[in-house]
Parts: sequence; C-alpha cells; structure tokens
Amino acid sequence: MTTAIVDLYKPVKATLTRVIEESPSIKTFVLKPERNFSFKTGQFIELILEGIGEAPFTPSSSPLVEDELEVTIMKAGFVTEKIHNLNEGAVLGIRGPYGRGYPMNEMYGKEVLILGGGCGFAPIRSLIYNLEAEQDKIEKLTFCYGSKTPKDCIYKGYIDHLRSVKKFEVFRSVDKADASWDETEGVVTCLLDKININIANSVAVVVGPPIMMKFGVQKLLDMGYPENKIFLSMEKNMSCGLGKCGHCMMGKYFVCKDGPVFTYEEIKDQPDIWK
Amino acid sequence: MLSGLLKDYSIFAPIQNGDNVEYDPITPATTGNIIYNHPKPSSPLKTFFLPVRENIFTTSNYKKRIIIGCPACDLAALSILDEIYLNQDYMDPVYSKHRKNTILIGTDCHSINEHCHCTSYGFNPWPEENADIILTEIGENIILKIISEKGQEFKDQHISLIQEANTKDHQIINDLREKTVKKLNEKNTDLPDYTITGELIAQSSENIWKKYSETCVSCGACSAICPTCSCFLFIERPEFEKVRSLDTCQYPGFERVAAGEDPLRPLEKRFRNRYMCKYVWKPQKFHSKACTGCGRCIEACIGKINKNDLFRELKQNLTVEA
Repeated sequence: MTTAIVDLYKPVKATLTRVIEESPSIKTFVLKPERNFSFKTGQFIELILEGIGEAPFTPSSSPLVEDELEVTIMKAGFVTEKIHNLNEGAVLGIRGPYGRGYPMNEMYGKEVLILGGGCGFAPIRSLIYNLEAEQDKIEKLTFCYGSKTPKDCIYKGYIDHLRSVKKFEVFRSVDKADASWDETEGVVTCLLDKININIANSVAVVVGPPIMMKFGVQKLLDMGYPENKIFLSMEKNMSCGLGKCGHCMMGKYFVCKDGPVFTYEEIKDQPDIWK
Repeated sequence: MLSGLLKDYSIFAPIQNGDNVEYDPITPATTGNIIYNHPKPSSPLKTFFLPVRENIFTTSNYKKRIIIGCPACDLAALSILDEIYLNQDYMDPVYSKHRKNTILIGTDCHSINEHCHCTSYGFNPWPEENADIILTEIGENIILKIISEKGQEFKDQHISLIQEANTKDHQIINDLREKTVKKLNEKNTDLPDYTITGELIAQSSENIWKKYSETCVSCGACSAICPTCSCFLFIERPEFEKVRSLDTCQYPGFERVAAGEDPLRPLEKRFRNRYMCKYVWKPQKFHSKACTGCGRCIEACIGKINKNDLFRELKQNLTVEA
C-alpha cells in the first residue's frame, strides 16, 4: 500500500515523440511512456515538467492504447505555455490516472449525445475512441461540437473519419463563421435543435468551457433529459489527485477523487460549478 | 528519566518562551522547564505530521519522537487529518510514517486561554482520542494513564512505576477537569455549537462576510496555525522530486484554473470558504470535526478577526429575524 502511493506521487517518465498543431492556441503532444500506462476514458493525469510544475489533463487518446498517450493542451497558463515550447525528444513526467471517468455502462444500449466546446473535444475524443471500439454496444452517437471560429476547430481529420462511421452523426457550429465555413453558425447549443434523438433512451455528456456547460445543461434539462442522465467533466485546479491537497474542492466533493465526471444531479447544489 | 530517553527519541514538550508556550525540542538542560497541564501551545500539533515544507521523496526526519503535553484540541484535530491522509484508498506514506514514529502524551488542561472553546464543539478539555498516554501533574506527582498499545509498550520499556494512583488522585483529577469545563462553559455561554454554526454559515447573507473580512490581509495565518487545516501545494524539484508545502484557500489563486476562472477571487468569498469548509462541507464528507475549538485562528489574526464574534452575530441575526 505504502509503496503504491509513492509510485502515484512518483511520475512515470515519458518522451515527447510528436507535436501536432491543432489550432493557433492548441497543440497535441504525443508521449511515449517508459512503461505501459493505462487509464479509463475521462480519468485525468498530472503532466510534470521537471523542476517547473505540473498540471492536470485528461488524455485525448484512446484508453485502449497503453504504449502511447496523447494530451491536447491549450496555451492558457504558466505550465501550459512552457509545454507549448517543448520540442520532440523532451522528457516529461506523468502520474495517475486519477479520478472517476465516463460511465461506459450507462451508455450501453443507449443513444449517446455528446455536447462539446473548444478544448473540451480533447477528453471527448478519448471517449469517442472508446465508443467507436464498442459501437456494437450503443444505439448511436450524436456529437455536437462548437468552437469560436473555423480556425479554432480541432481534430479536423478526425471529424472526417467520424462522419464515415455508420452509427455516428456529427454536427458542428462556430460562433463566428467565415467564407470557408459551410456548417452552422451560432453557439453550440443551437445544434441541439437540429438533432433527432430519443431522449427517453439517451444519456448526454457535456464537456467544454464553464459558460458553455452551463447553457448546455440548461438546454438539455429543457429538452427533458433527467438530471442523472447528464454527465459533466468538471475542470478544477486538481493537484495531488488523491483528495488531500484541497485545491479542487467543489463544496463537499474533491473533484480529483469523486469526479472529475459527475452527473448534474450530483453537483447541482454545490457552489461555483460553472466557475 | 527524560534525559535517558533522549538517546533514542527526539522529545518535544511545552516550554515557556516569553509570552508564548511552544512545543520545543527538549534537551537534558530543559527537561525541568516543561509546563504540564497547560492549554494549547502557540503552534499546532499538526506541524509534526504535516511540516510547513517537506520534500516527500527525500524526507529522512524519521527518528522516533515523543511529544509531551498535547491538549485535547490538538489531539482531536488529528482525527480528521487521519481521515484525509490515512484514507484507505490512498494512504499517504510520509504522513503515516510520521504518525507511526510518534508517541503522543496528552495532558488535561487545568487552565484556559482567552479564546479556548473546545467544550462548545463537543470536546472535553482532556484527551479522549489519539493520545497514547495521558499525563497529569498534581502537586509533586506525575500521574500517567496508559491509553494505547503503543503507550503500553512504551511504558513497559521505559517507565518504572513508583506507585499506583489512588482514589484520591482520581478525585483530584476529576475535580480539576470539572473546574476547567465550568470555566470554558461560562466563557462561551452564547456560542452556537458546531452543527448549528454550520447551519448558520450555510444560510448567511453575503454582507456579514464582507463586514468581517474587511481587515483580512490574506496572510493565511488562520490556516497555518489551525490544527485541522491541511491543504497543500506541490513544488516541483529537479529529478522529479516534490516538496509539499502547506497552502490555504485564503491565498488568492488557490482554486484558479488554467483558463483563468477563480471562484474564490473576491476576498469575502475566500474568507467565507474556510468556514464553509470547516463547518458545512467537511461534515458532509468526514466523521471527525474540522474545528476543535482551540481558538488559535483568533489569536493569530493580525486583522483582529474573531470568528466567534461572527458566529454570535449570525446567531443573533437569526434570533432577531425569528
């Protein structure tokens, strides 16, 4: 037991093998861990820059792949800016995985609706990889994704692939379109007016910036989704990952240990869920 | 006897330093200066288990320790730290090692400090949890009560009994205990209890937090000195080592996420957060109380904020409204 946790605090070293530019502010970092590293979709890791700092991220790669890990990172703060400056060959630390991921069991036999915004596509991609591998077990997947402008849309090639999967439908919107854009213009929730879904046999997953999650959840509730069928991946300042350091407290929950995936029913009465 | 133990143990005990009483390291020269049956020392017992800063990979401070003179408020506070740090799923090895290597000798409080209020929160001013041995000084005599297995082993190895305590000794101990309880109850008659305090905080309006946080300078002394506050920050070191440094929600940016959102940015929210944590949220997660009524946060506050005045006002407002 004791040694196990030392391992949890002690990182696995991982080499950066490739950097993919997804948008002007978002890059995907492909990491090769020194030993196999497994996680469940929706769980998060701490990514460590030796001697500098660490930050929590949910891997964007398939949970079925253990010898490689992808993390998609928006340049937003001190640590993420340093990560964005890294070159191939750099050695980082990863520790985890931590927390409670997406409840795959809740999705089997259901029509799965995923509502995502901005960099929220990162954890969602890991979930969709998982759903694609298990597509026999779900009725269908409807994915609604919004970003600010066409330039901010990430995983462009992957979107094309998803559109070729028979059970999957993809709807995209941008807040502000340009001449290159032939899909919807408007906030992501407007895509929910276009979809055809049997809510009685559906679960919804919402991941994105807080303001988008707030309005997304409101719309889903208006559409008739029960509070316990809406799953949210919460972003807080997770640090230790083990429910001790206190930085990610959200009322009575430690987001790192009790989440980061919660039903809306679980968190609706907690403070500052959209901040 | 203590001098002999110094070969194998580091010993700490309350020593008077000017106006302060502190858990100080004992040397052969200072064993005579130990103050027994004194209310809490200035700094909390928690710092022996969660030092202000500690490299959790290289820490080698594992010499066996004896801490003498721990009052009930400090000992009771270890219960919630144990729930967090010795959690079955994720036991913290460093905290656990510090706990295992320490013998805790508790003491009855025969006097009280200005802000002591343990009885208001359901604690007695004598050790009822986490002590290995309880020590009481009566006149010339030291009376020991062995509580835990660890305490028993320690006694068998190191303590030669002079004589068994008699009925009269017990009577004196009980009388002194009753006296201290009476003093505490008289001092804190109008203070709401732990559970009611939680309800009052949860229902309170924003104004009172603005009023009481006006003089808060976010120094974090209230948390540093609190025997149950246990939040920390990791500082990265070369070779992927980590330093654990005590942290507090009273510092700006504690909950800030990369995208910039910081729910605790407004001072009054940050100030209220600490009380919500102690009296509302922790009781929903843990069995042990997150405030043991030691009153150190009131003594340490350079803004002269008295949480008990705040709680009294909350109670009064409620009475007025009703």
